[in-house]
Amino acid sequence: MKATVVEGVEVGAQLPSLAVRFTRERLVRYAGASTDFNPIHYSEHFARRVGLPGVIAHGTLTMGTALRVVTNWVGDPGRVTSYFVRFTRPVVVPDDADGVEVRFNASVAAIEGSLVTISIEAICDGQRVLGAARAEVDLGIRVPHLDHGASHAP
Amino acid sequence: MAISEAHAGRRYPPCDPYQVSAAKITEFATALGDDNPRYRGDSPIAPPTFAAIISAHAWDQLFSDPELELSLDRVVQADQRYTFLRPLRTGDVVIATLVVDKVRIRPGSELVSATVDISDRDAEPICTAQATFFHAREVPA
Repeated sequence: MKATVVEGVEVGAQLPSLAVRFTRERLVRYAGASTDFNPIHYSEHFARRVGLPGVIAHGTLTMGTALRVVTNWVGDPGRVTSYFVRFTRPVVVPDDADGVEVRFNASVAAIEGSLVTISIEAICDGQRVLGAARAEVDLGIRVPHLDHGASHAP
Repeated sequence: MAISEAHAGRRYPPCDPYQVSAAKITEFATALGDDNPRYRGDSPIAPPTFAAIISAHAWDQLFSDPELELSLDRVVQADQRYTFLRPLRTGDVVIATLVVDKVRIRPGSELVSATVDISDRDAEPICTAQATFFHAREVPA
């Protein structure tokens, strides 16, 4: 793979954050694209019957959207080597034009050689909806500041 | 017989091959609101979480296994991990195989961890999807 140069990669560095509105239209679109047709993601009646406060977003929609922060930053999504999330709280999506906003923030948590671990948080209505979310990307180059004292690159 | 700790290690037959198409990749990226150019054009790569489509086919085997007595209505996914050796690409024909890693029995519920290995037709691994599910046991009426 072609090397990517990312300026300012250091532990603690913030990635540009992202705010996305989840609407019912988006849930229906994601249901079709992902083939996850669980009715809790489109039917108020069904969602309430199983004890939910309303129609909720697919956890994997939140997960996939959150990763955009990382892939926007790294450019090439093929550099993602792992991605983990815990689904901690449902994102309730009202049946109106505005839907609900989910904000995604991310920062560099660790650097080891060319592998950069990004910690991600997803906030909806002031609450974290993903827990322990982490993606690892292989930049394909050693991050410059780690090369102090290294005599040669692998 | 319901699910028990003894089901750890249970392995299901490989799923039918799934062909990754450019159209499905672009549809999926659009659903995520993601305009990354690598997901577009004649030969896109798939967004990492595209693996969910493929692993869901394997989960169907788990949730429809009569021996485990799981009901999809009472399943909530607790976590998800993807690990990639390379991205999924247009034209890949992939095969998903599920194994139950661990079952933890709790009062009124079970936690089931499972790994789906996604490989190409030559059995070369591409990625794995590991998930934990919370299953609420049926409350007798």
